[in-house]
Amino acid sequence: MMPRLASLLLLAVLGFSSAAGAAPPQAAPRFLGPKKEGKVRRVVTLAPSLTDMVIAMGARDTLVGVSRFDTDKAVADLPRVGGFVDPSVEAVIALEPDLVLVQPGPGNQRPVERMAELGVPVLLLPLHSVADTLAALRAVGQALGHIKEAEALSSRIEATRARIREAAKKLPTRRVLLAYGFEPLVVAGPGSFADELLRDAGAINVAGDGGSAYPVYSVERAVRIRPDVVVDAADVDVGKEKIQSLPGLSDARWVEVPSFALLQPGPSLARGLEELFGLLHPGVQVR
Amino acid sequence: MRQEGRGVSASRILGLCVAGLVLTVLAFALAVRFGEQPISLSKALGQPKSTDAVIFWSVRLPRALLGLIVGAGLAASGSTLQGLLRNPLADPFVLGVSGGAALGATLALAFGLATVGQVAPGLMGGLSRLSGPALLAFLGAGGSVLFVLAASRGHSARAPYAALLTGVVFNAFASAAITLIKTLSDPDRLGEILFWLAGALGHERGATLGLAALLQAVTIGVMIALSGRLNLMTLGDDDASALGVPVARTRRLLLLATSASVAGAVALTGLIGFVGLIVPHVLRLAFGPDQRLLVPLSALGGAAFLVLADLLARVSFAFFGSEPPVGVITALLGGPLFIALLYRRGGPLGG
Repeated sequence: MMPRLASLLLLAVLGFSSAAGAAPPQAAPRFLGPKKEGKVRRVVTLAPSLTDMVIAMGARDTLVGVSRFDTDKAVADLPRVGGFVDPSVEAVIALEPDLVLVQPGPGNQRPVERMAELGVPVLLLPLHSVADTLAALRAVGQALGHIKEAEALSSRIEATRARIREAAKKLPTRRVLLAYGFEPLVVAGPGSFADELLRDAGAINVAGDGGSAYPVYSVERAVRIRPDVVVDAADVDVGKEKIQSLPGLSDARWVEVPSFALLQPGPSLARGLEELFGLLHPGVQVR
Repeated sequence: MRQEGRGVSASRILGLCVAGLVLTVLAFALAVRFGEQPISLSKALGQPKSTDAVIFWSVRLPRALLGLIVGAGLAASGSTLQGLLRNPLADPFVLGVSGGAALGATLALAFGLATVGQVAPGLMGGLSRLSGPALLAFLGAGGSVLFVLAASRGHSARAPYAALLTGVVFNAFASAAITLIKTLSDPDRLGEILFWLAGALGHERGATLGLAALLQAVTIGVMIALSGRLNLMTLGDDDASALGVPVARTRRLLLLATSASVAGAVALTGLIGFVGLIVPHVLRLAFGPDQRLLVPLSALGGAAFLVLADLLARVSFAFFGSEPPVGVITALLGGPLFIALLYRRGGPLGG
């Protein structure tokens, strides 16, 4: 009885992953639900990065609702429609948007499908990588009729990347650990946003062998690996001092990110990269 | 074991069930009338194209129906299991259902199965498509109950206790496995897992609701049909056998019905606690332990309780800017209620 059930489960999982291709990191932006003709005038965003994109394109006046995680002063007065895993269908529908921008995830599948079924055009924008972010910028630009601005934003990001990569070639390679939290020690692993930017900045991500994009890292391994630089991207300092005083980590140069641009898969990416470069190579001018 | 309340007359059962039905309908009416957004009823009913009508008919109504279906299943199963296991602390999840379902859903979420990006084309297709977490939760729930029952077989005299203990151990094991998966998951996935585990009423398509309603109608029907036998079985297996009840078969049927009912509920809504524990208890305190009355009343009461708790969850959006999962609300309401009931009785609970 049990083996049969186990094989059933396995079959189900395999069926799903092969049919679905478990969360493809390179999924292109795509529409769900009806496509509205004419100019988009009422936009709801379900993630701060997507809000940033709309504002950066100069389309702030089209926004009518944002997620509860949005802290930008420019949207302080807008109604909130819930979070990443729990957007409220009712709140979104009531705003009568002609476009909803969504970062897709397993948690928000149902509500987002429901919106599309009820006649709200939804644009799904995966944001796993830098490439995803550029594609999302272009897709949002296309949808909002701000193609030029979106193009300018993505070109700027690409130009900054190229410039930083070029500059990094002439500089010593730093071995870097980038931490998002200290208790537990959560770091930027392979496939994370910061991992890509670290490579752009000519650094070796010492946690590149982590099990996932944002692994809980072994403190022992961090001590043994002796990074040259530890980048503190944590928003709370709980447990930082303990980690900082450990042998192998106490000799590293500890730097703090000046802003959270590094963590945002949005238009601030270029600035995040410049900031990271500045942290790793203090005093070096890239122009 | 209290004996008063046995032999409740059929007319009293019918009368109380009608009263329960009226209450449930009232709860349902409240739930579709109020919510996150204020809507005008005249617009919702008079102008089918208006936003208010869309919110009323397509967002609120299906959700309230889901609450009715799931609440009824959980509470009826809880009442049946409390009688069957002769343990007033039994709840629908006690036989490993919660652990199995949560493990299945957590696996699905951790692997990122079924995200919006993978929606099949032709959204308006009539056939409903179960999501990865729902399907794995259903399989996990069903599988774990079968496992728990198989593992605790051969303890016929102590069967209820063996099954209970095995269920508790299995749930503990599953919860450890879930914690392990959570540790290995990305933070963004973690949020999704936590949200699912807390239990929430989501947005299901009509076909899915139809399937769920059918499943609960059949399983609750079986529970009601066998509730007379269940009354006799609470006397103990030997006495029930002497009175002509096929004990083993009835127990198997009821375990199967409750498991299917709970698995169907959990698959759609995650782990909504307390409904299956509190509602049968309150009703037992009020009307005595006759299962012929308790099972249908619990179904109605559970439906009303969950629909109202969900209404509370949706209305609190205005204060929190986010909707707390309904499982949180049922526990916050149910926990204190349960303690108060225990305190008032001051003795062991009758079963």
